[in-house]
Amino acid sequence: MRKKIVAILLIATMAMGIAACGGSGDKKDDNTITVWCWDKTFNIFAMEEAAKIYQEDHQDVKIDIVEVGDVDVQSRLTTAGTSGDLSTLPDIFLMQDHAFQKNVLSYPDVFTEISEKKIDFSEFASGKTDFSVVDGKHYGVPFDNGAAIACYRTDILQEAGMTLEDFTDITWDEWVEKGKVVLEKTGKPLLTTTAGECDLLTMMLQSAGASLFNEDGTTNIAKNDTLKKVIDTYCKMKDSGVLQEVNNWDEYTGSMLDSEVVGVINGCWIMGTIQTAEDQPGKWAITNIPKLTNVKGATNYSNIGGSSWAISGNCGNVELAEDFLASTFAGSTELYDNILSCGAIATWTPAGDSDAYAVPNEFFSGDAVFKKIVDYSTKVPSIITGPYFHEARDAISVATTNITNGADLEEELKKAEDTVNFNMGQ
Amino acid sequence: MSNKPRKMTLEKKHNLTGWAFLAPAIFLIAVFSFWPMIKALVLSFQTGKGTNMQMAGFTNYIRMFQDDVFIQSIKNTFFYFILQVPIMLAVALVLACILNKKDLRFKGFFRTMIFLPCTTSLVAYSIIFRSLFANNGLVNYVLVNFGILDKPYNFLTQPFAAKMVIILALLWRWTGYNMVFFLSGLQNIEYSVYEAAKIDGASAIQTFFKITVPLLKPTILLTAIMSTNGTLQLFDESINLTDGGPANASISMSHYIYNLCFKYVPNFGYAAAMSFFILLLVAVLAFIQMRVGDKRD
Repeated sequence: MRKKIVAILLIATMAMGIAACGGSGDKKDDNTITVWCWDKTFNIFAMEEAAKIYQEDHQDVKIDIVEVGDVDVQSRLTTAGTSGDLSTLPDIFLMQDHAFQKNVLSYPDVFTEISEKKIDFSEFASGKTDFSVVDGKHYGVPFDNGAAIACYRTDILQEAGMTLEDFTDITWDEWVEKGKVVLEKTGKPLLTTTAGECDLLTMMLQSAGASLFNEDGTTNIAKNDTLKKVIDTYCKMKDSGVLQEVNNWDEYTGSMLDSEVVGVINGCWIMGTIQTAEDQPGKWAITNIPKLTNVKGATNYSNIGGSSWAISGNCGNVELAEDFLASTFAGSTELYDNILSCGAIATWTPAGDSDAYAVPNEFFSGDAVFKKIVDYSTKVPSIITGPYFHEARDAISVATTNITNGADLEEELKKAEDTVNFNMGQ
Repeated sequence: MSNKPRKMTLEKKHNLTGWAFLAPAIFLIAVFSFWPMIKALVLSFQTGKGTNMQMAGFTNYIRMFQDDVFIQSIKNTFFYFILQVPIMLAVALVLACILNKKDLRFKGFFRTMIFLPCTTSLVAYSIIFRSLFANNGLVNYVLVNFGILDKPYNFLTQPFAAKMVIILALLWRWTGYNMVFFLSGLQNIEYSVYEAAKIDGASAIQTFFKITVPLLKPTILLTAIMSTNGTLQLFDESINLTDGGPANASISMSHYIYNLCFKYVPNFGYAAAMSFFILLLVAVLAFIQMRVGDKRD
């Protein structure tokens, strides 16, 4: 008898377990917007602020923010996209800019086109919106700014008898020459970069408006003169000792915070990391990046990193989601003022006119850095990224690593182009 | 014949009960293990971006031998496996013999210490090795301070050094694991065999090669197959320690498959085909090892 009771209990638990697996959650609520994003101090904070602003006028709307890491967003999209079961997706999610094209092309069902009637995309920097445009359709509302900035330690520059002015509006050739002087006088390289990662290279390339792809989607590597110039410049920087290579992100941030190097060139989001150096307030200053020498269309402005908001193919109330984004990230200076404290700088141009952006920043030598960066971001040349951006980036970093170790430039670029073409032809 | 009783025989009944108990497990294995394998096999004959797939015959299988990065990754993986597996097994065997000595003190302590690396997570130890061999890491610090090097050597940006760091990491992580198998194998060898050898005047080296190794052959075979299998599927070290670099010099096959699925424009068919190629390699290598290791005829 006892055995039977135990058996019945066991069967009951198993049956309940199976029933729980089969349950399909509760019914979707038309007035709730679920959002996936990562980084508590940055994206999630911004989304929470946006929710507060929107709820002032729409008290019945609930914004449900779920923390999902950026790598997890990618794998969840892949799972939903390949299985065709979109019900697991939220209404809105954040997507890395450089992965946008690839995902829209691979999993078109996962995205919903965002209507231009609701959101005025011309108010965003075009270098930024282009990441999320596929076949002329908008799939993303730009969020954080990735405008490239150059940050230097003015106290170290002073030791070498230089000022920030000497590094503003210059070319890379001049930069190398000045870097040599700094290296000689202070023993410190101007810059570090992660070996085998081509963030710096793509930044330099974009600053001249050059892309790794042509308009028709074909590769533009082996005969890309700007790219050759970029790699050439990179070799010069490395050979002169002005550029130091490290192995990973920890070493990279370590080198700049421990005063091992004089400066950093990266997207403006790097400011958050720089400001963790509590012993260095007032010692850092920001200016634009150097431009390529003797290249047509070369500028001192570029872009790296950043992300955009996408509306998923599972969104129950697209109109509401669009309205939410239109009245916050694409229409509220108040929001951008509120989130400035975490270092999130708008790509939405009207936000830059706000007074909050003109407030001098004590950490960065009392400069109105935010206004400066918004200004930079409007001048960033637009490029073609295409879905095969990652393949091209990897091929270029392999080529550059080999070239800096003595391989032939033309040959390596030919090989890189072949690799990317191989990846594209399926 | 015609008046055969309808009742099942006792044997049939027993068999049926057995199958009834096995059925749930079989069902689960079939659904969660074999069905995906079959799906993957079908997938490996398809091609396309993401979800837009068409049948393509053997294109994926032909394509992988034209893929320079994949060939590079095969070479790397073989480099790891040819160098690392023999060294590791030899070291593990020697350690096991030492720790099996009857008169050794603190045996339990040493065994635990050597086995301990095995309990660390793959990702964690990869990251620790990465920081050990960094420009400002412990290894460079020691080398520079002892005057062996003038300035830090950047191990992870040199193709050969990067591979050696991975091999070193693998040795640290897995030697103790294999040692445990050898230890348990050694326990099964009668001590009287050694005594007899001693009486006959055999040296320590002779007993090792004439008694220990032959009697441990099944264990050596087992560890060799497991290690080969593990090395061919190397992933965590490649992605966390060196990130495949410099210039793909240390990328492993599984790492490249991961890139194709999650980093690049996803091409699941091609990635599945590569996975089956690894399966084939493991099968062939295991077969060769069994043939070489098993001399019974």
